[in-house]
Amino acid sequence: MSPVTVESGEPLGYARAINAALMEEMRRDEKVWMLGQDVGKMGGVFGVTRGAFDEFGPGRVRDTTLNETFIVGAAVGAALTGTIPVAELQFADFMMIAGDEVFHKMAKWRYMHGGKLSVPMVLRLPTGVIGGVGAEHSQSLEALGMHFPGLKVVLPATPADAKGLLKTAIRDPNPVLYFEHKGMYRMKGPVPDDPDFLVPFGEAAIRREGGQMTVVATGLMVPRALEAAERLAADGIELEVIDPRTLVPLDMETIIASVEKTGRALVVHEAVRTAGPGAEIAARIQEAAFFALDAPVWRLGALDTPIPQSPDLEQLVIPSTDDIEAAARELLAL
Amino acid sequence: MTELDLYREVARIRALELLLNRYISEHGFGGFWHPGLGQEGIQAGAVAALRNDDYLFYAHRGLGYALAKGMSPVTLLADLFGKTGGSVGGKGGGTVHFVDPERGVLGQGGTVGSSFVLGAGAGISAQMLGTDRVVAIFFGDGSSARGTWHEAALTASVWKLPLVWVCENNGWAISVPIGEQSPTENIADRAAAYGVPGVIVDGQDTLAVQAAMTEAVARARAGEGPTLIEAKTLRVRGHFEGDKQSYREDVVDGLDVPRDPLKLLREQVPAEDADRLEVEAKAEAEAALEEVLAMPTGDASVITEGVWV
Repeated sequence: MSPVTVESGEPLGYARAINAALMEEMRRDEKVWMLGQDVGKMGGVFGVTRGAFDEFGPGRVRDTTLNETFIVGAAVGAALTGTIPVAELQFADFMMIAGDEVFHKMAKWRYMHGGKLSVPMVLRLPTGVIGGVGAEHSQSLEALGMHFPGLKVVLPATPADAKGLLKTAIRDPNPVLYFEHKGMYRMKGPVPDDPDFLVPFGEAAIRREGGQMTVVATGLMVPRALEAAERLAADGIELEVIDPRTLVPLDMETIIASVEKTGRALVVHEAVRTAGPGAEIAARIQEAAFFALDAPVWRLGALDTPIPQSPDLEQLVIPSTDDIEAAARELLAL
Repeated sequence: MTELDLYREVARIRALELLLNRYISEHGFGGFWHPGLGQEGIQAGAVAALRNDDYLFYAHRGLGYALAKGMSPVTLLADLFGKTGGSVGGKGGGTVHFVDPERGVLGQGGTVGSSFVLGAGAGISAQMLGTDRVVAIFFGDGSSARGTWHEAALTASVWKLPLVWVCENNGWAISVPIGEQSPTENIADRAAAYGVPGVIVDGQDTLAVQAAMTEAVARARAGEGPTLIEAKTLRVRGHFEGDKQSYREDVVDGLDVPRDPLKLLREQVPAEDADRLEVEAKAEAEAALEEVLAMPTGDASVITEGVWV
């Protein structure tokens, strides 16, 4: 079993860590550039691209109009022809506006051209609930990326991963959907300042070791699962919390090794429970580790409803720390 | 390109069109073939104004775009029939899809009209890398309805991207005539909304197409931005080969091409040269088809290749 992932470096916010990755990669390679609505002088609606316009100018930091189809489609066209675009959509939800460009062009144009072209680009997708932005601006849609072969899918849950995974994404010759949780932008944590600090794709992080149950959590559910694990530890119950970090590629090896040790698995995500990423992970656990299981694999996800606009109600839709704690206790009792 | 060179290209494209028409009528075809019969002059004339390293996003009507750009008819027919000897190995995005990065041939929007935004992106790369390459994007009057057109035209014009949009207006979006889909008579009229030149040209006049394209390419290469060229043409055959065209009253009988671009161009070249080029074109097409029909299709091992780098 791999050791617990321990991050080091100076404390930095999650959004600042993304910014640092962008700035470092644009300094490293002049073919890297960015486009999106208000990414220029404003620095993005969430301030993530702040400073880039001043340093790199309007040729490499391009403000677009309100045109998601163009943002993603032009990024694909540019990626096909020798530059490395990092496109920002203001909300991950908007990738449906550019559905053809994301799920057909980004995902398939290498394959459809017999492998003769490549699409080295990153699509930054601010994801998840943030407090009161409603059903069309709060979704967790990462499972869509898993359903279209050709896309890599990244979900950082710490500032260090936000930086290291984005740098890896920019250097990857394949198209990457980078889901950054907008509710975590202000979360601080240690972040290495090495300009070649890269977090590899397909390597899950064990956030906490424990022997009684495996909890696979992504994004905002990682800190909540860790908090739940802390509470249970007070009662002598030890959860092992695994953060896959990338859903494509997915490090099932680490998850299976953990389940074989613990005999129980709970998968937690912010996406709706039905056909969410947890459905896939749970299925793969039972396929690979059925005889190691002492109980069914459980999933905890958002309710199968749209996200209500009220900040209080939206928190009732997605799994809370209490929900994770309660589910873990119940599953342990089975 | 001289009149004779252009004649050679139009004749080569025509020879493939007629050969495919015959082959499909005799043997059928597993897919949809969208004939470009009668539109060869636009494809040859426009591509003639491009450099080898200029980018091409072609449309779905015929093989002429890529043939004129220098791709081999063997490769193109192999792609049409889904053979391993094609450029995409049987994995393309509809009929027909081919690629040649060395010649700037990048693809077509399998979802029709999607290459507007992709082409704009290629223009951004050219602009950023300072290569002075130009991007030609072919489309039909039908795909001019797509929102991708508006989004690409708006921003490409503001950013002065090195693009030329070539609309082959054949008057039909599958079954709906242009008069029922466009509030203005000309697609080119829309250029005014984007502050770019909108040029109307006779699509049956290959030399006129080449001249309009040459001017548009020069403008793009000089950093002055995109141009919209509307080549007026007609659809001789159905939307796909086998389309009975029950919606249409002006169906052309057989393979006669009204205002045939090949015949119009023939007036500009010596008859003996024209005869020779037509014989060569026919022989090239027939030899290519024979070679392609003997090729294998891919086995299962190729299916999972090429998803990732």
